[in-house]
Amino acid sequence: MIGELSHFLSLSAVVIFCLILIFNSIFFFGKIHPNQLSLSLRMFNQACSLIFISFGIFVYLSINDDFSIAYIASHSNSQLPIFYKISSIWSAHEGSMFLWIVFLTAWSLLFINSLHHDHPLKRKTLLMLSLIILGFLLFLLLTSNPFERILPFGAIEGADINPVLQDPALAIHPPMLYLGYVGFVISFSFISAYLFHGNFELEWEKDIKDWSLVAWIFLTIGITLGSWWAYYELGWGGYWFWDPVENVALMPWLAATAFMHSLYASSKSSVLKTWTMFLGILIFALSLFGAFIVRSGIIDSVHSFANDPQRGLYLLIFSGLITLLALGIFSYRLPSLNVSRYIVSGSKESYLSMNNILMITSIFSIFLGVTYPLIIEALNGEKVSIGPPYYNTIFAPLILIASIFIMASVDSLWQRSKPIKSVALTIFIPLMLSIIFIYIVWHVTAIFSILPYIGIFSGLLILFSYLYRIFSNFLSKKFINTGSAIAHIGLGLLFLAVSLNSILSYEKNLNLAPGESIQINQSIKEFSFDDIKVLKASNHDVISVEVSLVQDGKNISLNPQKRKYSTRGQITTESSIHASVLKDTYLTIGDQLENGSWTFALKINYFIKWIWFSASLMVLGMLITIFKKKVT
Amino acid sequence: MNKSLRFLIVLVPIMIFAFFAKVLIQDDDKVLRFDAKIFPSFQLNDLDGNPVNYESLNGIKLVNVWASWCITCLVEHPYLTKLSDENVQIVGLNYKDSDNKASEWLQKHGNPYVFSIYDPRGDLAFDLGVTGAPESYLLIDNQVVASIQGEMTPKKWETIFYPLINQARNNK
Repeated sequence: MIGELSHFLSLSAVVIFCLILIFNSIFFFGKIHPNQLSLSLRMFNQACSLIFISFGIFVYLSINDDFSIAYIASHSNSQLPIFYKISSIWSAHEGSMFLWIVFLTAWSLLFINSLHHDHPLKRKTLLMLSLIILGFLLFLLLTSNPFERILPFGAIEGADINPVLQDPALAIHPPMLYLGYVGFVISFSFISAYLFHGNFELEWEKDIKDWSLVAWIFLTIGITLGSWWAYYELGWGGYWFWDPVENVALMPWLAATAFMHSLYASSKSSVLKTWTMFLGILIFALSLFGAFIVRSGIIDSVHSFANDPQRGLYLLIFSGLITLLALGIFSYRLPSLNVSRYIVSGSKESYLSMNNILMITSIFSIFLGVTYPLIIEALNGEKVSIGPPYYNTIFAPLILIASIFIMASVDSLWQRSKPIKSVALTIFIPLMLSIIFIYIVWHVTAIFSILPYIGIFSGLLILFSYLYRIFSNFLSKKFINTGSAIAHIGLGLLFLAVSLNSILSYEKNLNLAPGESIQINQSIKEFSFDDIKVLKASNHDVISVEVSLVQDGKNISLNPQKRKYSTRGQITTESSIHASVLKDTYLTIGDQLENGSWTFALKINYFIKWIWFSASLMVLGMLITIFKKKVT
Repeated sequence: MNKSLRFLIVLVPIMIFAFFAKVLIQDDDKVLRFDAKIFPSFQLNDLDGNPVNYESLNGIKLVNVWASWCITCLVEHPYLTKLSDENVQIVGLNYKDSDNKASEWLQKHGNPYVFSIYDPRGDLAFDLGVTGAPESYLLIDNQVVASIQGEMTPKKWETIFYPLINQARNNK
């Protein structure tokens, strides 16, 4: 009956959150009692603890194979290692929603308790957070209850976790992503509280800055891990597919990136304050939208959870109300927010605002790409699909313009413009270097394609601007914002790596019998199929193949596999990858043909490591930004 | 601050939410029923290279149009697998695909099909009136009695196809 205890604790949390809201709304119009906040805070802390304990018990049940609980029975299995018994909790809708709520609660609890007791926005932030947690808890318990039992007799054995999810990346990718998504509940609630409060003399940026930076880091890591996982584990052979679910993760990321830039700008000059507030609200609204898209099954995607219109409708109404509440008060307060300060053209904030506009344009383009098929279907019933060509075409020019603004902003000042002459040199040198470099790329690869070249050029502009800046500041011993420089170098490298990857990578399909050997091209002089074995593992059978290559004069051995999982009968492909600094040699086995030979798919992917490296640089840059502020 | 801007900040999200609510609520099952339209005759190979024709589709068959490039096909795949485990005879119509990629896809995700007609140029699909993948056609004695565009779901199966199959079995 431990399962019922866990269920009961969650229900109690619902009751307490309701009490907090009712209790505070009764006294809303009257005078606030001095103990009202302390009491609300205490109740809030207790309700949050109940959620943690409830989740803890659920984890315990999953580890101990309580297959009388329907969710555990259909997503776990007694043969699983303990690690996957835990991660199986977030391998489907109900459990992952539970995890989302736990993170939401954790962020809220930490944030509320970090605020000074007399902080004027504390009570309103607490109410806003309670409302959001309550909404999600009710969603969990009413439409997707993970505690449901199989009665009267439980299952003897669990149905097992989907094999592609039996991977260490699953254990960390969703949690990181969720930590990022829900982390922005803080900026959302705090800004709403600020707007409701109506005293605009207050400073609000400082209190949420670090929280948002940390959430951004989690979101970036989460997205990168997802991409890494798709590439290494799922054998998709690529790292980004413009799948609707990837897109709904990218939208809050872009909004968050814009938010942090303008948050930084508004600490230097007050000109972007209102805009920053709007972005702070938008990020969480987009996270909610993402949750709706993924969990309603409204758009077909490989990521979708089970199709259930009822869940979709609840989430839509709930996120709609929350978003409208925040945007409504924002719109109401807009005239009283003192904003009309003139932006000096050529100043740092002018470039920053331009890139903010570009980021919003990209968000809008992605939003259109995601919803366009739905709009067309609603209009005339036709099904259309929007794929990479749309996004590549739209993003290439946006990236180019953004890079030019980034380049211009590197040497600019806050609230002042700089004379063209003094800027000219810092623009001229990176520009020349980029042109020379791109000529070299063209000369070496002998391939030309307009969109990747725009990407390469944009990446180079950013990269050389910052490198030149670091170099010249090093000579003149001037200050440089290390965090920002590292993060932007990461961005430049990312553009470069992605574009070079798209022009250089290639694929070969091969047919070989065991013992056979062939030459593929100038780079891969020999490809030999050495051996094939059938092995048995704890919960699956393995067909394991040994292949050796002579690539660029070096010997490489690869060991791709196919696994057949006993419980579900599902077959998965384990690609084998040899990664060097510049390129990955990526091999998967296909079928056995009638003559006994096997098919292979050999992919040579360039600059993949650089993609992960550049994402890490962005995270590192952000960490330095947070850490440095603490020291100084 | 401009009044219409303030208005838009609230109005645009409301419109977006209303749109999604409409899409969510509307019944999206597009069923095309026929008064027994005859399945077009054809002469093609299956993915293993064996010749197949009109005769191969005798009896009660569910023809499912799929391709390795089609994401929705991957979404409906587990359900098709379940149906084939329940002894529903599903014939694949591999549409505008390459046999290598198609076989690799089946190997990777499992094969619910009795066989898959290989139609790389989409000739048969054109005669049949296929608009895209996935689509499913229910054949009873070479007559198309029902078809759907888009993903096969338990709801569509139980409300549209299953009753027709039951009826056909009872008539025999």
